Amino acid sequence: MNEASPASETILQVENLKVYFPILGGVFRHKVGEVKAVDDVSFEVRRGQTVGLVGESGSGKTTLGRAIIRLNEPTSGIIRYEGKVISSLSSRAFWPYRKKIQIIFQDPYNSLNPRLSVSEIVGEALEIHFPEMTRAERRERVAELLKQVGLVPEYLDRYPHEFSGGQRQRIGIARALAVKPEFIVCDEPVSALDVSVQAQIVNLLQDLQEELGLTYLFIAHDLAVVEHISDYVLVMTQGKIVEAASAEAIYENPQHEYTRKLLAAVPKL
Amino acid sequence: MKSVIPMDETYAQRIWRLFKRDRFAFIGFCIVIVFFIVAALAPFLANDHAIVRVADGSVSFPVFRSLEPIEWRFLLYVPLAGLVYGFRGPLFLRVGRGLWIVAGVVLLIEFALFFHHSFNDVTNDRTLPAAFKLMPPIVYSPIETSPDQLVPPSWKHPCGTDSTGRDVAARLLHGARTSLAIGFISQSIALLVGVSVGGMAGYYRRWVDIVTCRFIEVMECFPTLLLILVVVSLCDAANNMIIIMVVIGLTGWTGVARLVRGEFLRLVGQPFPQAAQALGAGDLRIIVRHLLPNSLGPILVTATFGVASAILIESSLSFLGFGMQAPTPSWGDLLSEARKYIDFAWWLAFFPGAAILITIMSYNFVGEGLRDAVDPRLRVK
Amino acid sequence: MRSSFLSVENLGIEFGPRDNPVKAVDGVTFEMAAGETLAVVGESGSGKSVTALALTRLVAEPPGRYMSGEIFFQGQDVLKMPPSKLRALRGKQIAYIFQEPSSSLNPVFTIDYQIREAIELHRPDVRDVRGEIVRALETVGIRDAATRLGDYPHQLSGGMQQRVMIAMALACQPQLLVADEPTTALDVTIQKQIMDLLKDLKRTSNMAILLITHNFGLVSDFADRVVVMFRGKIVEQGPTAEVLRNPQHPYTRALIECVPKLGQKQHRLRTIDYAEID
Repeated sequence: MNEASPASETILQVENLKVYFPILGGVFRHKVGEVKAVDDVSFEVRRGQTVGLVGESGSGKTTLGRAIIRLNEPTSGIIRYEGKVISSLSSRAFWPYRKKIQIIFQDPYNSLNPRLSVSEIVGEALEIHFPEMTRAERRERVAELLKQVGLVPEYLDRYPHEFSGGQRQRIGIARALAVKPEFIVCDEPVSALDVSVQAQIVNLLQDLQEELGLTYLFIAHDLAVVEHISDYVLVMTQGKIVEAASAEAIYENPQHEYTRKLLAAVPKL
Repeated sequence: MKSVIPMDETYAQRIWRLFKRDRFAFIGFCIVIVFFIVAALAPFLANDHAIVRVADGSVSFPVFRSLEPIEWRFLLYVPLAGLVYGFRGPLFLRVGRGLWIVAGVVLLIEFALFFHHSFNDVTNDRTLPAAFKLMPPIVYSPIETSPDQLVPPSWKHPCGTDSTGRDVAARLLHGARTSLAIGFISQSIALLVGVSVGGMAGYYRRWVDIVTCRFIEVMECFPTLLLILVVVSLCDAANNMIIIMVVIGLTGWTGVARLVRGEFLRLVGQPFPQAAQALGAGDLRIIVRHLLPNSLGPILVTATFGVASAILIESSLSFLGFGMQAPTPSWGDLLSEARKYIDFAWWLAFFPGAAILITIMSYNFVGEGLRDAVDPRLRVK
Repeated sequence: MRSSFLSVENLGIEFGPRDNPVKAVDGVTFEMAAGETLAVVGESGSGKSVTALALTRLVAEPPGRYMSGEIFFQGQDVLKMPPSKLRALRGKQIAYIFQEPSSSLNPVFTIDYQIREAIELHRPDVRDVRGEIVRALETVGIRDAATRLGDYPHQLSGGMQQRVMIAMALACQPQLLVADEPTTALDVTIQKQIMDLLKDLKRTSNMAILLITHNFGLVSDFADRVVVMFRGKIVEQGPTAEVLRNPQHPYTRALIECVPKLGQKQHRLRTIDYAEID
């Protein structure tokens, strides 16, 4: 596993992040309460590391991942990327960061536009960020990306429904790689897949990390998978991080009772 | 449950396959196509000018000189639509180029029509001698009056004649044009407005949505037909096809708007538009490339029913005297005349009534067939 | 010797065009004894779900076709049963729970209504229906069941919905419970709770349970026997402990090794090499 060297820089800093969702009620839909999805969370990620973020549904881990990539707006707190504050940028100012920070989604069945072909799905990133590329150049690059994720260029003109769950996840990974990102938020990328396919995708992510020097925030609810791929693990419940330690420490010496509960829940042979 | 059947067809192919299974829908679809062809070819089916005439050693095609601009439009645009559909692959490989080509052809046609002046040729090829002449199946023009008034259906006039001696069959065939033109163009306007409004509401939500919904509700409070009647009479627009099309379009968009809004609200929650957003796609790209194509199903269904409804509205307007009047052929106008002579001239009401009935039923069957084919519950995932 | 509880012999089910069919289930033969817990393990597309549905002829035909084989449940020939007897079989003798609770739970009715419907359909002689419902809900571990009767499915979490689905299945006191990937859509902690619930049921009732899953990890301390399916065929079956200790078929071995193990940080997870298996 890629042990981040002490000299490697901090690429992402999250300080006191809060993401609250208002509960609207009453005739005029005014705010009657709030859901504290992410409640004062702070952590750091070093370049080349994989930080695992574990918790159940409703723990806020997905909201946290999406806040980093601005699919959810932070309510307060600061997110820094390479030292610069990105959490308070306008969407236009954030646009260049979309090339650096990408996301892979959980649901292979709904994360690809069913009406677009594979080359269009993966090539869209190129259309947006590299408009000077010709159609032929884009197809070439998409074919390269497909090979990188273990698919064949023959799949360029096929549609998502022709593929299995694992293959669709690969297409989603290829799409994220198209912009040559540095940091990828993996939002439960293997939870919806069979165990055998989970293994393939996890291996692929690890290989890509080595090849391309990527940094991952790996969100999941299964500690076994997280422990395998992560250097450092954050355990989250009800919006707060209750334990943060290296992967080995989490397994050998869990401090918090919730961590122990998660460890006990892993199916064992 | 995940499917065990390997699916190798595109969305459109699956819709077509499911659609074909429905007998009524398929027959309705065939009838719709037939009506289009009839509308486009009407001048060749009922005309007092010959299609081909050989006389004095020269070959001439008198029918073409008699064509009005709208007849030219139908004759040219219907096959053009067919060609665009047939060659949509290579044509729209680069969407921009395809659009320019189609726009260019349309501009050319309109430009040429601008210089067209109707020949108002009253010569009647029926009686003109010729070495050889090929007449249309019905040898009367819809505007040609004759002394044979209120003649019941016979060999000479298969659907009889009206009070001024015009052949009803000819008026019927040419009337298809009016109904279809008004039906389609008014629905296109309604679609344009409805998709834009509904799309904005569904995508941007918050106050845009609130305002839009209230606006839609206000629009729906108006009884459509009365509203159209009022507008048409205010604009003094009886017999003005363009204004009628626009008015029907601008009053009929609310259904589509609601639908599109609903679809967008549903789709925006799914990961793939969010993935596009995460990639840096702008609002327009997400709406046009991701949300719209996945809402097409219900939009098409509503549009189909909308055409049927527009045709009915047009016929009602003409029936009441506010729509297209003679000499422009219109089924509603035919019916309006029939009122006076209904007690003995049954053919004046029967044939146009049947035409309207069959047309609307066909569109409704197609709409229902489409709706069943598009229904996500039938989808095997 | 054919088991008198459940016996499937040479079952074959096809889909797709007749000249080029997809054999979802191809010559599947296995048995279950009364009160036994059997696990059917395989990946997506192995035919395990289709096999389970076939037990009460729930596979829709079209598009499926029953090509061969026989299914005997307590001496009755399921594939030759008239529809009325099949309806009596479903729910009352063989009950199902599925991966998505939404496939069983109607969103517009309260859970009280839905469980009541199941009871009234299959056990019309029960007097205290409300009491039965509360008992069923408590059996599945829903505390204060009486107060939750009026809840709608969307008011419950995923784990709760799954429990309600189990309660509905149990309310008719079936002899066989078929659980088709009941925990795949749930978090690990909830998955553990549901599996614990199933283990309790196994202990306290003499209901037979057929568990369908893709994860060998769930099987080890739950199932008595296990059947491994690959591309419509059974590649191995036997008592769980033996199969785990000494898997004969390479596919079984690969499936077992795929389960990520805590504490053994391998450099790469094991994947399945299909070429090696064919």
